[in-house]
Amino acid sequence: MSEEDWLRQDRLPHIFCAGCGNGTVINCTLSAVEQIGWKRQETVFVSGIGCSSRAPGYISTDSLHTTHGRALAFATGIKLANPQLNIVVFTGDGDLAAIGGNHFIHACRRNIDLTVVCLNNMIYGMTGGQGSPTTPMGGLSTTTPYGSGEPAFDLCGLATAAGANYVARWTSYHVRELTRAILTGLENPGFSFIESLVQCPTNYGRRNRFKQVADQIEYFKSHTILVEKAARMKEKGEMIPPEMILAGEFVRRNRPALGVRP
Amino acid sequence: MRLQIDERRCKGCNLCTLVCPYRIFKPGKRANRRGIVVPELDRPERCANCRLRHLYGRTLCGTCQMICPDQAISWKEDEEPVPKKVAIEY
Ligand SMILES: Cc1ncc(C[n+]2csc(CCOP(=O)(O)OP(=O)(O)O)c2C)c(N)n1
Ligand code: SF4
Ligand code: SF4
Ligand code: SF4
Ligand SMILES: [Mg+2]
Repeated sequence: MSEEDWLRQDRLPHIFCAGCGNGTVINCTLSAVEQIGWKRQETVFVSGIGCSSRAPGYISTDSLHTTHGRALAFATGIKLANPQLNIVVFTGDGDLAAIGGNHFIHACRRNIDLTVVCLNNMIYGMTGGQGSPTTPMGGLSTTTPYGSGEPAFDLCGLATAAGANYVARWTSYHVRELTRAILTGLENPGFSFIESLVQCPTNYGRRNRFKQVADQIEYFKSHTILVEKAARMKEKGEMIPPEMILAGEFVRRNRPALGVRP
Repeated sequence: MRLQIDERRCKGCNLCTLVCPYRIFKPGKRANRRGIVVPELDRPERCANCRLRHLYGRTLCGTCQMICPDQAISWKEDEEPVPKKVAIEY
């Protein structure tokens, strides 16, 4: 088997815009499920609503494309009904942190045995570029035409505080690291949360100084700083510029988890 | 192994041109029938995966395939020439 076998080839090319980072994260996720050796019949992909949430529709396993914000509630139901199934949730920043915010914190608190991949494009992509809870301060969107004046949610910090067993962040530029993080998340019992920043050239990029798809990828490359390095800098009292993206593994622990296979 | 871009899937984002250490992918020049400018391959036989996959028994590098958002990059086995019997008529 190969990653290609996990794709519904008859559904490709997918509807994502040219250069949309969602496709890259699908590649990384499928590579991880292939490496861990899960069977297609025993794996379910779940999502809410949004561009990112269309991902399970291109994957050749059983899947649930649910209502906006409720992916984690449906995934919890599947896991409790049949703990034998392996479950991966794809969710957008709006889906997870805005309308679905409460499901998110409680799924982390219950530490239910799911792997959640959040495709954070810092915007509501599907509905035309409204600001989301992760739109950075100063970021332009159709609802923040003068730049967002609110601080953005730190999704990894939230998942850590709420009790998830595994928490990591990468970007669609870091394909290897992201794949490894998702694989670690799949292996780890309990709630695994992997956030991937992704470019949305259509609704975020072109409003925010990223004229070409490559510009945002270059930005991800030059503006990420490893968690370990950031910790060392903090120790020495050095300033970490606020626009830097913290990347790497935040938590790997063994709190009691729900829905783990006996 | 031969590197190939599936023209039915590629949307011409040029992300592959950013990541290849050998700069095998070059931005294309002409739009195809779907109006998409698919990258061109510059001496693809230099690709690490083309040369070494069979030796190591696993994918080497593969970064272009991973980053391609449209699942358009793959490798094809080189075809062994098949001997064929041909009836020669004089
Ligand atoms: C209950 C409900 N409210 C609102 C919507 C409209 N809606 C569809 S997608 C979306 C936001 C999507 O943003 P995100 O989850 O970040 O996904 P993206 O498209 O950016 O990948 C909204 C508000 C909806 N479909 N259902
Ligand atoms: S609108 Fe943005 S997130 Fe949606 S498919 Fe296009 S680039 Fe991707
Ligand atoms: S990354 Fe993929 S979709 Fe983009 S130009 Fe290259 S082959 Fe085409
Ligand atoms: S596998 Fe690596 S070396 Fe080969 S074409 Fe892709 S990026 Fe270049
Ligand atoms: Mg979004």
